[in-house]
Amino acid sequence: MAPTLPSSDQASDQDNWDNGRLARKRQLLIEIVLRNKLTALVVDGDTTCRVLEQLLLRSYGVQTQGVDNGRDAVALIASGVKLDLIIIDMILPVLNGLETTRQIRDMGVHCKMLGVTICSRESERQVFLAAGVDVFIEKPLDPEHLVPILRELDGQ
Amino acid sequence: MDLAALKTQLKNFVQSMFEEGVLDNQFSQIQALQDSTNPNFVEEVITLFCNDAERIINEINRNLGYQNVDFSNLDSYVHQLKGSSSSIGANRLKLACANLRQASDERNKEGCLQALQLITCEYCLLRRKFQALLHLERSIVELETNQK
Repeated sequence: MAPTLPSSDQASDQDNWDNGRLARKRQLLIEIVLRNKLTALVVDGDTTCRVLEQLLLRSYGVQTQGVDNGRDAVALIASGVKLDLIIIDMILPVLNGLETTRQIRDMGVHCKMLGVTICSRESERQVFLAAGVDVFIEKPLDPEHLVPILRELDGQ
Repeated sequence: MDLAALKTQLKNFVQSMFEEGVLDNQFSQIQALQDSTNPNFVEEVITLFCNDAERIINEINRNLGYQNVDFSNLDSYVHQLKGSSSSIGANRLKLACANLRQASDERNKEGCLQALQLITCEYCLLRRKFQALLHLERSIVELETNQK
């Protein structure tokens, strides 16, 4: 069903326009307030996806880094960076998402890992979960899936 | 055209893209992320997406031109394009990528070529509409700036 944008019946002056957009933003982004400073890493080989996922996290106040391949993700975590959340795609350049996830878990990292990928088959989901992600999400990452996880990490 | 009329035109244009299935609700999420700290975010994301999409479509085209197609290489390109399409809300392009993924999984070169044709059409349509959308947005910003 096509989403409906705010009605244009009222006078479309600057205030109505801004208020309409603000209301829409609140509705779409599901506002929450985090009590704690959370940190996250986005591991995605596609620039558009990585930029959007990082910005979505930052819009909720999550301090976020991004890398475009599995090897750099492993190296970053091996350097001692502490993370509350890792968002990782299944298919990655250099070192694939499954192996990256296994290596991260083998390092003793227990933070929340979300597998966010276009792979939608049940077999792919099972394989990713078996590799060590906690949650499997089909792209795109959206507030409906992300917000409950952020609340949980924040202890809300 | 005055500012109010331009804004209505933009709103209606985006709505038409939703109704035609060119965009889905994910694009609304992206619009919602644009604010005073990221005033050009929508344009930046669209530009980023289009640059990457064209590069990937060209690579897929090149791969399918070889006698022996490297389908695993093709898979990773399709994966990228489908992922970025879904992330920006490019609904019809995302669906067209699913066709290519299916054909690639079946190692069906002819099927891949047909699917690529559809992807190219959908991408060209999307790019034209994005260009029109951005033209409207820039006109609005220009008028707003002149009015201040």
